[in-house]
Amino acid sequence: MAKQLFEWDYSSYPGAKQYPNLFTPIEIGNLIVPNRIKYAATEDNLNRHDGFVTDADVEYMRRRAEGVVGGLCFMQGVYMDEPGKGQGYVGQAAAWDDKFIPGLKKIADAIHSEKAVAGFQLMDCGRVGAVEAPVGHGPSAVPQRLRIFKPMAEMTNAEVKEVVKQHADAARRGVEAGFDVMEISGIVGYLISNFISKYTNRRTDEYGGDIRGRMQAVVEIIRSVKEAVGPDVPVGIRLCSEELLDDVGGNTPEESMESYKIAEEAGVDYISCTLGWQESIFPVISRDIPQGNWLYLAKRAKEHVKVPIQMAYRIFLPKFPEEAIAKGELDMWEICRSMIADPLMPKKVAEGREDEIRHCVACNLCLARLFRDAPMTCYISPVCAHEHDPEFFPKPVEDEDDKKEVMIVGAGPAGLECAYVAAQRGHEVHVYDKREEIGGTLNEASLAPYGDEELMTCVNFQKTMCGKYGVELHLGTEVTEELIEEEAPDTVILATGPVYKKVPGVDDNAKNIVNVLDVLAGRAEVGEKVVVWGNRKPGIGVALKLAKEGKKVTIVGEEKSAGFDINPSFKWRYMIYLRQNGVTAYNDCTIDQVGDGGIVVKTFDGHRFPVQCDTIIVTERDANESLKSAVQSEGIELYVVGDALVPRNLSSAVHDGYRIGLRI
Amino acid sequence: MPVNAEKEITKLWKAKQAAQGEICNTYYRWREFALGLAGDKADPMTVALDAAEAFGRYIGKGMLPRLNLLKGDEAFVGMVAKQLAGTWANEGAVVTVEPGEKATEAVIRCKRDTWPTAAKTFDVPMEEVTRSREKLFESMLVDISVFFNRPLAIEMQKAIPRGEGEWVFKLYLKQ
Repeated sequence: MAKQLFEWDYSSYPGAKQYPNLFTPIEIGNLIVPNRIKYAATEDNLNRHDGFVTDADVEYMRRRAEGVVGGLCFMQGVYMDEPGKGQGYVGQAAAWDDKFIPGLKKIADAIHSEKAVAGFQLMDCGRVGAVEAPVGHGPSAVPQRLRIFKPMAEMTNAEVKEVVKQHADAARRGVEAGFDVMEISGIVGYLISNFISKYTNRRTDEYGGDIRGRMQAVVEIIRSVKEAVGPDVPVGIRLCSEELLDDVGGNTPEESMESYKIAEEAGVDYISCTLGWQESIFPVISRDIPQGNWLYLAKRAKEHVKVPIQMAYRIFLPKFPEEAIAKGELDMWEICRSMIADPLMPKKVAEGREDEIRHCVACNLCLARLFRDAPMTCYISPVCAHEHDPEFFPKPVEDEDDKKEVMIVGAGPAGLECAYVAAQRGHEVHVYDKREEIGGTLNEASLAPYGDEELMTCVNFQKTMCGKYGVELHLGTEVTEELIEEEAPDTVILATGPVYKKVPGVDDNAKNIVNVLDVLAGRAEVGEKVVVWGNRKPGIGVALKLAKEGKKVTIVGEEKSAGFDINPSFKWRYMIYLRQNGVTAYNDCTIDQVGDGGIVVKTFDGHRFPVQCDTIIVTERDANESLKSAVQSEGIELYVVGDALVPRNLSSAVHDGYRIGLRI
Repeated sequence: MPVNAEKEITKLWKAKQAAQGEICNTYYRWREFALGLAGDKADPMTVALDAAEAFGRYIGKGMLPRLNLLKGDEAFVGMVAKQLAGTWANEGAVVTVEPGEKATEAVIRCKRDTWPTAAKTFDVPMEEVTRSREKLFESMLVDISVFFNRPLAIEMQKAIPRGEGEWVFKLYLKQ
């Protein structure tokens, strides 16, 4: 008989009425999970390089456990071999010895302290492992396409058996540490997926051949793990439903579905439906992929197996899983990056506070950091991975005398972030903006193509928080020296956004020179041949928008490569879109001259060449010095944040604003 | 000042040719240095072929992200041939890729090569130039063949350093 670990009654939760299917219990093996929500195992690089769990990771997990409101909460996948061939991340937790159990228990206890179901994941990173070992292991020694990964050695038959045993031993340790559910990771190019794929498994022995042969190691692992954990602990597996490896001869979708059936036959209690490998040349989870795009794969999986199907992958809003569960096309909503950005995301859904969710903007900075051996961080959330550090959270101003009247100039993301944090702490906060609406330049930036409209979720969240904490907005009000003098605030925050550079040697009012914001908003006329001056993200965004409209677009910029300010896990998408849309980029170059019908581009080493154009769009930015001296001359405490300080990106604006909000 | 297109192009063209010339010269300077270190007992041909193999493996690995099987084996062979030809063209060769007799064959033809000229300057035997090129191409294919699970082979049919007027290589998929 299935048992339930913690009692949850969602009848008083407004979100449970709005999303009844999400808050319906489900049986996973012999366990009843009170709802359909799961925080999916995610690496965070927060643990020690020798595999021991840290307090930072424990608190990171505790916060996510609170977020799932009684659902499944999985800790990151553990590696299981002492040499570290299976270790894919420098801060990955280990479970190759009993000595790791006490640390792992801290995580299980933290999850249980929030009345959530604790999940333990077994993850040999295979082809993308050996992060601190010289050689990786896999079914066959297929060379690496990406140089960041280690050379591969083919596993002997005995080594395969040893890996099977390692999974069973680690699973037993997980149960001893107190975890309730066991999961085998077979995704994105890790060892299990290496065995399953014909791209990486060329073996001719019992562990190779057709899909059944390639699944043999997986079957042995499933069986050995089930035996190790006993009947009360459900065992699940994360498997690729589509590898997206047609370019290198990977599995067909039919073979992938066959792997699902074989896993079910071997005894798994659920399957997490995943897709793509780290090596895939197709995008899967970046912002350019519409939300809910991949749910058809869960539906297909449901048509092939009877065990519950779970899925993440661009499902950021509860309406998608709610509808899919209602239609019988999904059983559980897995959440990964959305809960990196806002660990309490599903809790806020349950409590009817969706407008307080800080939404992930699918930029993949978190992944980019992990692949570069850096601790987890989030583009949009300044507190992510600092859950253990009280200094990162707003502290109320205790003494009434310390409460300040704060004037924030600019209602963009930096100003609003600073505003609600300062107000939350007890300061009186007034935000001024000469525009009639909040959001600053993000209003225009979010009009760029390939999913940038999702950036506005940041401002929507900030607007709610400003309202919640009583921030007073003064829109349509330009701040002048006189206004500062008149209001005489204790503190001024300049969040005015950047100023735009002048095109060298040209009158700013020349009719064919326009500003990027005006172009994105449709306020400026643009010809058919366009030069975009500036090769950072604003330049790329406007270039792509115009190229999609059929304009001939050339980018000229001083950075050595276009998209210098975009993180590598997303930048590759933009490079492909530039190429697909026929945009030419001259990097490491400046505009040397502007004449009738074109410009002269000068390369870094002095070569000059003409480029025809009828419009020049200025995207190059500078720090905004206005009002600084006025504030300083009044002897008022002054902070400058966001692009006004140094033109960067949305992330920097939010992080700047948050930190200054804590400091005032 | 308006752009003098002819002057700009000439400057760039000369710079490119000089850089291409330096590729060969730098290699042969290193060759002299390596042979000096290796001592009298070292066989120059062995050293050259070992170097060609190491370079080839490295260059071949670099081609992996630029190749795919999406358009089938025939297109794949053509794609690999273009990659090989491209590396040669970067060194200053005039090189083309043509279809082979079979669908999974491609011909790489080079009418002009900078390597034999540079080799003469450094007194390198022409047979070493010939076999180094052959070895270089063979080595580039090693990881490509394994990675894509498509066994590729290359046969040298003509060689400029052997006085045959042009280089001709046949690239094909082994059955």
